[in-house]
Amino acid sequence: MSPSFGRGAMTNSWQDMQNSECFLIAGSNCAECHPIAMKWVNRARAKGAKVIVVDPRFTRTASQADIFAQIRPGTDIAYLGAMINYYIENKLYNEFYVMNFTNALYKISKDFKFNDGLFSGFNPETRKYDYASWAYQLDAEGKPVKAASLDDPDCVFQKLKAHYSRYTFDVASKITGIPVAKIKLIADTFAAANPGNIFYALGMTQHTTGVQGIRCYAIIQLLLGNMGKAGGGIQALRGEPNVQGSTDMANLNANLPGYIPYPTNQEKTLNDFAMKKGSVQYKPLVALLKAWFGKNATAENEYGYQWLPKNNPSNMPTQTHFFGKMEEGQFKLLLNWGSNSTVSIPDRKMVARGLSKLEMLVVADIFNTETAQFWKEEGLNPAKIPTEVIFLPAAFVYEKAGSMTNSSRLIQWKEVALKPLNDVHPDLDMLDHIFKKVRTLYAGSNDPKDEPILKANWDYGPHEAEPLKVLQELGGYNDTTGKPIATIGEYLAAPVGTVSTGCWIYTGVTPEGKNLADRRGNADPTGLGLNKDYAFAWPGNIRVLYNRCSCDAQGQPVDSKRKLIWWDPVQNLWVGNDGPDVVDKTKGPDTPEGKTGFKQNPEGVGRLFAATYMSGAVATPTDSIAAVPIRGAGMTVDGPIPEFYEPIESPTSNILHPEVQNNPCAKIISTEFGKPDEYPYVLTSYGVVEHFCAGAITRNIPWLNEIAPEPYAEISKNLANKIGVKEGDEVEVSSARGKLVVRALVTDRIQTLKINGKDQETIGMPWSWGFASLSPGPSTNNVTMAALDPGAGTPEYKCCLVNIRRA
Amino acid sequence: MKFTRRGFLKLSGISAAVVASGLGFDLEATAAHGYALKLAGCTKIPSICHFCSGGCGLLLHIKDGKLVHLDGNPDNPINEGTLCPKAASLAQVAYSPERPKNPLYRAPGSDKFVDISWEEAYDRIAKKIKEVRDKTWTSTEEITNAKTGAKETVTVNRAEGIAMIGSAEVDNEESYLLTKLARLIGTPFHEHQARI
Repeated sequence: MSPSFGRGAMTNSWQDMQNSECFLIAGSNCAECHPIAMKWVNRARAKGAKVIVVDPRFTRTASQADIFAQIRPGTDIAYLGAMINYYIENKLYNEFYVMNFTNALYKISKDFKFNDGLFSGFNPETRKYDYASWAYQLDAEGKPVKAASLDDPDCVFQKLKAHYSRYTFDVASKITGIPVAKIKLIADTFAAANPGNIFYALGMTQHTTGVQGIRCYAIIQLLLGNMGKAGGGIQALRGEPNVQGSTDMANLNANLPGYIPYPTNQEKTLNDFAMKKGSVQYKPLVALLKAWFGKNATAENEYGYQWLPKNNPSNMPTQTHFFGKMEEGQFKLLLNWGSNSTVSIPDRKMVARGLSKLEMLVVADIFNTETAQFWKEEGLNPAKIPTEVIFLPAAFVYEKAGSMTNSSRLIQWKEVALKPLNDVHPDLDMLDHIFKKVRTLYAGSNDPKDEPILKANWDYGPHEAEPLKVLQELGGYNDTTGKPIATIGEYLAAPVGTVSTGCWIYTGVTPEGKNLADRRGNADPTGLGLNKDYAFAWPGNIRVLYNRCSCDAQGQPVDSKRKLIWWDPVQNLWVGNDGPDVVDKTKGPDTPEGKTGFKQNPEGVGRLFAATYMSGAVATPTDSIAAVPIRGAGMTVDGPIPEFYEPIESPTSNILHPEVQNNPCAKIISTEFGKPDEYPYVLTSYGVVEHFCAGAITRNIPWLNEIAPEPYAEISKNLANKIGVKEGDEVEVSSARGKLVVRALVTDRIQTLKINGKDQETIGMPWSWGFASLSPGPSTNNVTMAALDPGAGTPEYKCCLVNIRRA
Repeated sequence: MKFTRRGFLKLSGISAAVVASGLGFDLEATAAHGYALKLAGCTKIPSICHFCSGGCGLLLHIKDGKLVHLDGNPDNPINEGTLCPKAASLAQVAYSPERPKNPLYRAPGSDKFVDISWEEAYDRIAKKIKEVRDKTWTSTEEITNAKTGAKETVTVNRAEGIAMIGSAEVDNEESYLLTKLARLIGTPFHEHQARI
């Protein structure tokens, strides 16, 4: 989403779903995996909203749908591309929106090409693209040249039209298995409803084409004018209680908190970083360094920039790569917090191999997980595993104070409800104690390498760390006033180097004497579910992102029933029911700032075509950094517009371009792959409502184990007949990488599909089991495959080839 | 009698038959009265569900420092008091006998965990961080400048041997300190389950 809109977050909220007229739910079984979504979907349905579900299985969500389409796993881009083609060919797009809030008119470089499955700039040796040709035509000032009309052959709109002309309903049907008439029905139904809402979850992201699938959603929502509106948008239904928060806090290798790009060894000085990334990233980095090093961060010492470890771009392993780096011997110590990789990593045998090479593994969790006990798994010899393991029992959510950020960016605070059980402690205390111990071990050192530890600002209380002090560090302080930052506006207006904040997008959450995450005002005067006085949403308590796009050229709401913001010509101010997501609240709709719908993008518009672009004057390095007014665009590494590729393991060939079967940039980690003659069926893995992710908590809850005691393989009646299996029989599911034995669930929920003229079977398996806990069971990740989306690093859990037989 | 969920279902089936045969009391009213007695005198403390990213509000009913009952928080506008089966089962985590009581240690080559104190656990971890950090420290490396093509030596300050897998399962404040700790000790190798 970030290369399309400038921010990666879910755009609207749970409560806002009641405002939708139509839902396209594809890549999410929210009735089971995000039941709260279904509550609000049903409220919209009661008012007449339509629900479209596209899924490899007839799920519980599908049971609530007006239209259900069963799709072959991993082929979404084919039918979504056909929808884009249909909307363009039949002029079903919102012309005002497309002209004003997207880059449809921007002219693309003549060097841009797409031939036989590859975009221009591909390097087959590195399997990477050079983006140079994915560019705009620029004028003398370096600004993109705009076409006079959408008919200009160079403009983005015409590039889209040409690209998707290959995506007919017929081609899409052959690839996906969805009948032509049904694809047309989906396209018509979704375009007819306004506003339309799209939901996705891991069903869309866990593919080697995951990012490009979401890009299709972005293109559809921009064409139909659904972004920035109540009841519209794209809802990334995120999977863990605080996954939005942990992403904001940059538990990721390429960011610092607040989505600051992580400095690499190419940015030798803070000045280099500023020249490359612009003030838009430089300012929050300085504020972060001030939060981390306090008085020791000064302009003279680059605010401590040299103390940050720098990434080496040629060695930046993502989580799935970590275990290979252990096996190779790079990592000796793994500190693992609330993650159960032994169950959750695809082709999971690599996890035990990696952990066995560590000197020490530290696991902090509520229950003793499979990861902490990896050396106990059947088939391993503990005597030959030299890894020391320390398990730290953690306090549960209601046994500690702190905040979590939900999928819709809402930061909610909670107090301690219950004293921690036994002698367990909050993770915050563990981290505080460990850091202070390490600092004591280095006390008195004069070695420059120990400076980041000894110069750090780390004071959250003398005994037990106080979470409110940490939240206040995130909310930030203003040196000029000597007080906590009151609003994000105050942060944005302050000169560089005069504010400190641990995460700039959270500024305003803790104004002096207050904790806005702890607000409980649940009034909803508009009936739109904005609940503005309940907790605090980043950025700046905005509930619907990009809400400038809900207004017309005069700045007035286009939908009189769903008014979010508007320009008030009397006050000369953007005002409204929601916080205005505008560049400057005082700049009217007749100014360039006041027309900007997507202010985080360098073009200020939504990006149908994800071009390489840097706005502002190209900066020349100087010794003293003044403002560097540049902003770079977010890129998709595998193409500026989405293209369909078959999954890495696929039962058929790519009919669009047989020579380029898979995503040419996909990152492959697994070493064993199967062919359809030996492994003819497509496996898709999923979650069930009773169990959560790797099951570390839910498999220890008796009530849930009673309802959902074990994993199973869900197969069609045709497949059951073919292999001679009845409901409840044990079956062995195998791939080139491994196997497991479970019971068969024979069902109508999965039907045989017709793919490229041939019958194709899909097998579904829940994945939340492992060898430990109250309710152990075999792990589906024995058979899945570690092949990653090249941009996001997300593994293709949702499709691989398997065989199945009676066990 | 051990009062299990399954037992309750059986019981309610029998009772319904008894009521239908006209033998006595209104089960529903009795149940409601029992519920009220159970919750009488409880302090209600709001919290947040710990499963999907909905952020549904929980309400914990606490009496004498003990969790008596857990249900949805009707004042939270996200869920308005409703909960899914996973969230509704969260009371079962509070006193689960499966939860380890203290830190555990598994020695190299051992086939079991033994109990250790928090002090010993922190000591061992801190010493190992220092040992691996010192042993695998990379203060500078040679790079090819992407713009000029020149070879140059740059400061990188990395502890190459330490990796951190952080967490979407902990609070913001904890997640933030995970990042801060990782970077202060010198590891950029910090990832978590958002990636997968």
